[in-house]
Amino acid sequence: MSNTETIPGRTIGQSLGVVTGSTVRAKHIGKDILAGLKNIVGGELKGYTELLQEARAQALQRMVADAAKRGANAVVNVRFATSSVAGGAAELFAYGTAVLLQ
Amino acid sequence: MDEKTIDLIVIIGMISFTFGPFLFSWIFGNWYQKSKQKALVEREAAFGGDPLTTLRTAPEATTESGLLVANIIMSVSWWQGMIGGIHSIFGGTITTWDKTLSWGRQEAMQRLREQCRDSGYDSVINMRLDTSEIASSKGKTKALEIVAYGTGIKL
Repeated sequence: MSNTETIPGRTIGQSLGVVTGSTVRAKHIGKDILAGLKNIVGGELKGYTELLQEARAQALQRMVADAAKRGANAVVNVRFATSSVAGGAAELFAYGTAVLLQ
Repeated sequence: MDEKTIDLIVIIGMISFTFGPFLFSWIFGNWYQKSKQKALVEREAAFGGDPLTTLRTAPEATTESGLLVANIIMSVSWWQGMIGGIHSIFGGTITTWDKTLSWGRQEAMQRLREQCRDSGYDSVINMRLDTSEIASSKGKTKALEIVAYGTGIKL
């Protein structure tokens, strides 16, 4: 995986189209309350950082699975998008171009 | 006790219940954030050179590459939120959010550097920074996610 147009040091043989992966995640109420308390002093909200980290990893994993299904061996120009769907839930979306390297 | 003393006690009580949490937030928030920021500066100094670049092309000698992602969720303290609210009435720079966001970006970039080192890459090309809003279930906690990502390369 790479977020540049090419895989450095390799040549792209064939483009296999856009692959996507997404996930919607929410945190349980306890973590929400903890984050609310952490909010008193400000700074990083660790609970949410972990939540989005896991979610992003899952979205990437799904994207890679999609690419593997098409017979690709690399994904280039990977991009991320985030949107808050319902209260407390976030959608993580990863997309890129599946390619076959020579 | 006469009526005036009771009135005074009631007024003082109301004020401390209203502003107490903000005062608490001001004192502890300042102390907490200062210590965290100091730690970040030390980490940056200890790291030495900066492997991050926003260049889109890799050097010829690249042998291996992979995607690196680092993120952080930042929020302002109650006190900073209140100050920010007052600031936004008059317009201009909202210093509290301003500081928090640049701190968050610095931290996300430092995490990307550490990730680059830990996964054995020499540098990161095409680094991008994204910011998005995260809402809590009650919609009260205003938090922003900062994500730094790029392609790690081995020379």
